[in-house]
Amino acid sequence: MTWISKSITVFGGLLLAHACYSAQEHSALQSLRASTAALTSPSPAVATLPIDIAVETVVATLVILLGLVLNTRPLRPIQWRVWAGKVEREGEEGFIDSSGEVSRDYIGNPFRFLETRPGFIDIRKQRKEFADWVKNGGERLGASAGAGAQ
Amino acid sequence: MPTERDFQISPVVQDSVVHNSRTLINLQSLTASLFGVGAGILGLESYYGFLFYIICSVLTTLLFYVVRVAPTSIPSGKAAFDTSRYYRSPYEFWTGGLLNGLAGFILTWTLFYGLVRA
Repeated sequence: MTWISKSITVFGGLLLAHACYSAQEHSALQSLRASTAALTSPSPAVATLPIDIAVETVVATLVILLGLVLNTRPLRPIQWRVWAGKVEREGEEGFIDSSGEVSRDYIGNPFRFLETRPGFIDIRKQRKEFADWVKNGGERLGASAGAGAQ
Repeated sequence: MPTERDFQISPVVQDSVVHNSRTLINLQSLTASLFGVGAGILGLESYYGFLFYIICSVLTTLLFYVVRVAPTSIPSGKAAFDTSRYYRSPYEFWTGGLLNGLAGFILTWTLFYGLVRA
């Protein structure tokens, strides 16, 4: 997608450069003609731009404008619920730049702290094992540790 | 006008606000210089130059709306020309570009006017 917008912009830039050069040449020619024919015609014609250069300029401006607009980065929703829903649904694919990479300020899932919490532990079983270990005087440490690992 | 309470009920992501307005401002300052080049080549003077700038700037905003805002905003239930999915105030979106790029426009306008009519 990005090469389309880039090539449109470059094409418009070429058109604009050509129009600019044509206009400059035209004005140079006009001033030359005015200086040579100053004696014959007392009021030299005002150097109006030829219509084709004017049209080329406007078209080139619009073409570059189209390329630049297509080259902008995708917007992000500003409401938290809309934005978080988009992150949840699309993940990194929803935040890809116009250059095709995930943008640098992508922070990811705002609820990831909920998804990485530690698993539950059976506190009653551990308490019972500890009581057994205390009752046996702490002798069978290795055995109770083995039982705890089961 | 949204109050403090509205912002607490439906909070706003500041990063997205900054990202969106920076995208729009970048585009507008870039295109304003481009319009200056166009106006200088066309040899526009006084009010016609500013008229050209205003027309082109409005066109830029419209095109930006059509390309970036409308494809996702309208399916999500917003009305046409409603930018509240991506921008906090519609004035910032529709008229902010006129002042953002004016300096760049005048700079390149005068430069290219002088270059072409040397």
